[in-house]
Amino acid sequence: MQRLCSPAFIGLAALAGVLIVLPLVVTSHFAIDICIRILLFAFIGVAWNLMGGYAKQLSLGHAAYFGLGAYTSTIMQIKFGISPWIGMLAGGVVAMLASLPIGAVCFRLRGPYFAIATIATAQVLMLLFLKFRDFAWGAEGTTIPNLGNTPLMMQFEAKAPYYYIALAMLALGLAITYRIERSWMGFYLVAIGEDEDAAEAVGVNAPQVKRNIYMISAFLTALAGTFYVQYIYFIDPNTAFNFNISVEAALVSIVGGIGTLWGPVIGTVLLEVTSALLQSWLGSGLGGVQLTVYSLILISVILWRPTGLLGVFTDAYKWIVRAPPAREAAIDG
Amino acid sequence: MAEALVVRNLSKRFGGLRAVQNLSFSINEGETVALIGPNGAGKTTSFHLITGFHRPDEGSVTAFGREIVGLRPHDICAHGLARTFQVARPFGGMTVLANVMTGAFLRDKRPEVACAKAYEAIEFVGLSAKAHTPARDLTTIDQRRLEMARALATEPRLLLLDEVMAGLNPSEIDQAVALVGKLSKRGLTIIIVEHVMRAIMAVARHIVVLDHGQKIAEGGPKEIVKNQEVVRAYLGSGYVHVATAGET
Repeated sequence: MQRLCSPAFIGLAALAGVLIVLPLVVTSHFAIDICIRILLFAFIGVAWNLMGGYAKQLSLGHAAYFGLGAYTSTIMQIKFGISPWIGMLAGGVVAMLASLPIGAVCFRLRGPYFAIATIATAQVLMLLFLKFRDFAWGAEGTTIPNLGNTPLMMQFEAKAPYYYIALAMLALGLAITYRIERSWMGFYLVAIGEDEDAAEAVGVNAPQVKRNIYMISAFLTALAGTFYVQYIYFIDPNTAFNFNISVEAALVSIVGGIGTLWGPVIGTVLLEVTSALLQSWLGSGLGGVQLTVYSLILISVILWRPTGLLGVFTDAYKWIVRAPPAREAAIDG
Repeated sequence: MAEALVVRNLSKRFGGLRAVQNLSFSINEGETVALIGPNGAGKTTSFHLITGFHRPDEGSVTAFGREIVGLRPHDICAHGLARTFQVARPFGGMTVLANVMTGAFLRDKRPEVACAKAYEAIEFVGLSAKAHTPARDLTTIDQRRLEMARALATEPRLLLLDEVMAGLNPSEIDQAVALVGKLSKRGLTIIIVEHVMRAIMAVARHIVVLDHGQKIAEGGPKEIVKNQEVVRAYLGSGYVHVATAGET
């Protein structure tokens, strides 16, 4: 009972309520589209953050799993008529299995070398899908046949169902993160991120823990891949394995607050909203000016708040709650 | 008494440097042994070899009846050998409690159990007041305390302490010595690498002296301080020994 009355729980319930009602109120396709993008990239960020944030294994190759998820479900749907709902899970499993050899190679490296190796894995997969035309349509890609409003095939006339799927995925990602953060695994991940040797010295099987979290992270990222191609009805290697997806996953987490539950969500909301607003205000002006402003904002955030914007909110909260004693102390001093 | 650790003919080369050569010694359960010697004598390398951070070129290490050469550091920790580092390596972003809980999770994955065990270890080393302080904000001696608590939380049978007194002031050294004594009373077998002779004399009943990667002497504190070889290589001719463990 006490738990149900806590401010955190009430806040979360209110947020969930607003998010569930939102598509009923917002009818603009453009606005709903931005909301879906935010939910999707927040989810990818959450998946990335499990490994990149908590364990500080800075992967820049999560597009590999996004693409594998997208291709698995699409191939299953077009060639065998299997529903993308099943394909989505199959894609997750394929991504998990792919993460094993990729991890076995990349985890031999640390720091920037690890990041570079992961970039290579996504690029190699993209090239494979470009070259093998018989297998998966090569460079032209394919459109996903529009079957009208068929929920069982993850196709809808309206945008709202997509919104709810993305919302459900994000909720799943956050719930998994919440559980891991509070379990032994969360402690082990942070310990590995802080000092892998010291973690080994207190009994942490670092290679195994990293392998497991990479599998979870890859699985979740693959779900996002399936959803995305179902949403845009199109797939080609450049969409599925786009480097921007890898960067975005890392960026939203870093800007929002690396290794925190809500960091990737806050990061995505700020980056996506900023980008959309700049696009509409400045997009018609001088070419590329909105990207320049966007980059400047990004640079100032990194300079001003290297640990992420979530810290601004927690600091503000502390400042409001504890401001009077701090001022007294300042006067006393 | 049963042997806790038996090191036989341990050798390690780094390129042309023979860091450890043919090192052999053994420790009985419940004993506190000091490993001393000048800088570069191979003390820390020996620790790395025993705890699995380096793989020896030759030799064997048997801990509680099991050969541990070739095991990974976390396996060796699970076998009951816990260590601290020469330069304390706390998980800086975590609180003291979270640091120690990470160690406690080795034996029990339930957070509430790990938390209770962590508090016990924190209290044992005298850090209770700072349980919720981020580890990076601790002073040197508190970081050493934290490392000991974190190692203790893994429920070791053998504790390897690497220069836990370096950088401490005299009164802090007394506190650290008292802490090591308390650990020993708990029945732990301890190997301690140290430069502070006063501390070694107070805690160790048995001393192994290394120089250039080789064992040059071994014995009780009183024999060691009189050993000509040790005086020449390490202590210096001006060394006057203070009270030894036997006398205090």
